[in-house]
Amino acid sequence: MARLLGGLLLVVLAVTLLPGDWPAVDSGLTQSAFAQGAAKTETATAGIAAPKLTPDDYPRIAGVNGRIVVWLVAQLHLWFAAFVLAVPIFVFIIEAIGMSTRDKRYDDMAYEFIKISIAAYSLTAILGGFLVFSLIIFYPHVIQYLGAIFKDTMFYYALLFFLESAALYLYYYGWQWLQGGFRKWVHLTLGLVLNAAGTMLMFLANGWLTFMMSPAGIDPGGIFTGDVWTALHNHLWNPINIHRMVANVAYGGSIVGAYAAFKFLAATRAEERAHYDWMGYTANFIAISALLPLPFAGYYLAAEIYAYSQQMGITLMGGIFAWLFIIQAVLIGTLFLSANYYLWCGMARSEGAARYNRYIKYLAFVIVAAFLVWFTPHTLVLTNEELKALGGPYHKYLGPLGIMPAKNTAVNVMILFTALSFLIYRRANRIAMVGWAKAGNAVQVALFSAGIANIFFLGIYHGYFTNTVYKVASSIPQVITTLVVIAASIVIDAMMYRGAKEVAPLRWGRVPERAQYALFLLAVAFTWLMGLMGYIRSGIRQHWHVVGVFRDNSPDAFTPTLGYAANVVSVGTIIFMAMVIFVFWLSQVSAVKTTPAGFWKEQAS
Amino acid sequence: MRNFAAVLLFSLVTIGFFTWFSNFGIPQVDPAPPPKEEKLDLGAMTMEQFTALGERVYKGKGTCTLCHSALGGRAPLLQEAGAISKERLADERYKGEAEDMAGYLYESMVKPSAFVVEGFGKAGSSDTVSPMPDVSGGSVGLSDAEMKSVVAYLQKLGGYEITVEIPKDAVPETEEEATSRAPFKTAEAAIAEFACGACHKVAGEEGEVGPDLRKIGRLRDRSYLRRSILDPNAEISKGFEKDQMPADYGEQMYAKELEMIVEYLAALK
Amino acid sequence: MAMLPRIPRLLQAVLTVAVIYGGFRLVFDAILGQPIPASLMTMYMFFIVAGVFMVFTFTEESAREMVVPIRALVEDPSRKPIRNLVFVLVPLAAGGLTYMKMLPSFEAPLELRSIHPAPPTTVELYGKRFDLLKLENPFRKLEKADPEKFRELVAEGGAVYIANCQYCHGDKLDGKGPYAAALNPVPLNFQDIGTIAQLQESYLFWRIATGGPGLPKEGAPWLSSMPVWQEFLEEDEIWKVILFLYDYTGHRPRSWGHE
Repeated sequence: MARLLGGLLLVVLAVTLLPGDWPAVDSGLTQSAFAQGAAKTETATAGIAAPKLTPDDYPRIAGVNGRIVVWLVAQLHLWFAAFVLAVPIFVFIIEAIGMSTRDKRYDDMAYEFIKISIAAYSLTAILGGFLVFSLIIFYPHVIQYLGAIFKDTMFYYALLFFLESAALYLYYYGWQWLQGGFRKWVHLTLGLVLNAAGTMLMFLANGWLTFMMSPAGIDPGGIFTGDVWTALHNHLWNPINIHRMVANVAYGGSIVGAYAAFKFLAATRAEERAHYDWMGYTANFIAISALLPLPFAGYYLAAEIYAYSQQMGITLMGGIFAWLFIIQAVLIGTLFLSANYYLWCGMARSEGAARYNRYIKYLAFVIVAAFLVWFTPHTLVLTNEELKALGGPYHKYLGPLGIMPAKNTAVNVMILFTALSFLIYRRANRIAMVGWAKAGNAVQVALFSAGIANIFFLGIYHGYFTNTVYKVASSIPQVITTLVVIAASIVIDAMMYRGAKEVAPLRWGRVPERAQYALFLLAVAFTWLMGLMGYIRSGIRQHWHVVGVFRDNSPDAFTPTLGYAANVVSVGTIIFMAMVIFVFWLSQVSAVKTTPAGFWKEQAS
Repeated sequence: MRNFAAVLLFSLVTIGFFTWFSNFGIPQVDPAPPPKEEKLDLGAMTMEQFTALGERVYKGKGTCTLCHSALGGRAPLLQEAGAISKERLADERYKGEAEDMAGYLYESMVKPSAFVVEGFGKAGSSDTVSPMPDVSGGSVGLSDAEMKSVVAYLQKLGGYEITVEIPKDAVPETEEEATSRAPFKTAEAAIAEFACGACHKVAGEEGEVGPDLRKIGRLRDRSYLRRSILDPNAEISKGFEKDQMPADYGEQMYAKELEMIVEYLAALK
Repeated sequence: MAMLPRIPRLLQAVLTVAVIYGGFRLVFDAILGQPIPASLMTMYMFFIVAGVFMVFTFTEESAREMVVPIRALVEDPSRKPIRNLVFVLVPLAAGGLTYMKMLPSFEAPLELRSIHPAPPTTVELYGKRFDLLKLENPFRKLEKADPEKFRELVAEGGAVYIANCQYCHGDKLDGKGPYAAALNPVPLNFQDIGTIAQLQESYLFWRIATGGPGLPKEGAPWLSSMPVWQEFLEEDEIWKVILFLYDYTGHRPRSWGHE
């Protein structure tokens, strides 16, 4: 509680302490009525000019590298923010499920999710305040410029922050109090308010950073003349909003999954194991559900970056950052493999699953093969020997796998097969009793086969035998195919297995410990991946604070190598992990009671 | 505790693997440092040097070849731009005001939509809006002289007589400030050093060319003052003329000094 | 029919990895003649091992079976001799690998090369400006119009080739001339389907005439030792050599007409 208040204070302090001379803030306050009248007619269009800085305008303090400090703090703030924004989303959904099914276990699990993340909210706020401070210290003119443009939103930001905190407190502390009937409805509404406030907070902050990437309301001379809404509603705002929303949910799921996994490993009693197994499964389910549409949100974002500026798009995909996408491929491959592995291991929970065990190797084969295609770079790293053996720097057979159509095809196949893993897991313990089960199965098989055939056709035909225009365009029908196949097969499955017979009781807790490590892998890889993609999102601005408007002339304006960036991300991940462990530890320390013998005076009664 | 250690170790090994891969699994490309903002010395330039400058701008700072190349096919090729400009000027779809080849080429850089070659318009605009930015602003930010040099280069490329003239007076002949000049401590010192008083009535000086600044804080707010220094022509007060005040104080001043001067002026009431 | 003894799970896993690895080597090295570069192969195998591990450990029984032999090796008293052997061999192998890795070699450091240096649209050669987009081999049309004359020109081109080019590119045009072994990057193999068969004649004209120094900036680092042939050969001679290159290898130049 005190921690949260402390964090809050910090943020408010930071917001109000921002350089007092924001141009327009005091324009209305200090001018006489006469001057104001004059100002209205003459200075109504006075815009905000970006300062032209020199390296000496960036304070150097005690030899600390300002960029790395801001980078790390921003990233830590972002990790925590993503986590605390995501948790209420699925807590709300789980609570609603519990409410409609009247299954108390859902309600308890939702409560536990919010309980373990409660300390993370104050950490998010503290880190946010810290971020503002480090920006003021190391980049005073940048924050001043942005502050001048976004001053209105900062006020709403503070307001929303209060609203979110209030809703959070009521939601969390009132959980046991607001139970049953009308009270439960009130509680659920609180959850909705909490989520709405949190999401709006994120949208506001997204507006600030997308303005730096794709500024809007700038006249040809580089002067900002728009209003706050123009600045906020810039070209990349919505693509980033969508991408972050989906990614946050997947990320939050993976972190909670790691918590459940650890509790599972530490559990001593069977009920405890069962409980945390179920919790881990749910968290993994949430993570995968959000992970499947995530690549598409990413494509949308990348396409919009291209649409905003070809130059930025080429820097992103073809230029110096091209190899980053090979690292990204390794990480996303890791995510998919570990999520699948967890599902397969989970089949041990039921006796009926053994029927499906022999299919797993084919799933694994396809997913790994698709992953290898995705991972194959366009430009190969060759030793001189290999160069000679190949007769040139170009590989005849692997070369074609390096370009986009092959990768699009691979990732769609990977997503489809992950969905298939999940379908098989769902069926593992059940036998469909409806009369048309055979036909339903056939339809599903046909659906998947047709979908995969279509994805391959689109990828190979349009990717390699038509010109560039179709190459790019073919990725959209591929995505639609994937989504349609997944949605349709889930619907068919749901109808087919209505009233299905269970083969054997599902035994929560009967899952190998290895599966828990898959959950850890998911969480760690996700954290690291977010750090990496955060770097590129910010890095494609290159030597600009605000692209094309406000040049970065600091000594740190250079674009670092990927290795350098990866090292910073790794350090950040380790700090974040330490903090998350602290948050989880806090959540259980309140339940621990120590009774010291002979410490307190005996009271005669 | 044993579990904790195992999980920790597992996570660290995972992070270690990602770090290793990023450092050693892929080639480390050292990105080019940010481009230098070049100052042009036009006074002593021959036409050959001017054209060569145009080529450098065209291939480098101007980033023209990103789109105007045979590889991308995103924009028309410019080898024949000189020859085609006559047809363009006569075309009924032409919306600009240029009258000759040099004028047309220059105009196409600052108003790309004046004529959009068929098939190269923005999607959905049926070739009325060009996807090309105004290269005098934005992230490209070419100066007038740089754009003229590109015109010269394009004319040479097509094998035409170079009709564009080297702008002599576009860049004011300012003494190059030593880059490590110490910032002035007070606003008064800065105002004296930048010789504001030569034109303005300020800080005891009685200049006549520009507006009186002795009570400027009453009339103008800080954002207006700041803009007036960075971009003097943005708005001209009644009774004064354009292009009188140097436009490069933004480059000459440290941001700190600018803020000091703005603060000082705003306090004059 | 005699039952074959069931292969232990651990061995199965190892065999699977080995078979996949062998398959890669067989298909890419032996059959296709295009080996997978070691850097890529390492990552391929890393994820294949991970995939195999996943398949072999996702059920409890299978995982246990995988561990049993390893555990036995460490714990079973009767395995003492093998254990000692393994415990000596493993560190030795690790040491040996490290030694080999650290041993200084004469191998030049890796360099990233751009595979397709984009040609300029026009180029100044022989004091003239050539538009590479429209440029065609002036002798190409003789192939149909005057086959006899065409054969003559090809033969002349062959003479130019033997006098100038074969030292590096080889008398069979396979990039294995007497000097080839000393060069890096290696001289191009014109027999390969991935080289001149993918290019227009104008591209070849540009590459021959301007040589290594004429490579564009985006092709760097590219330390090609190809001479600037416009200083040694006549314009017509280059066009004749190009005729010869396609004629001898049986490839057709790429042209936009066919697509």
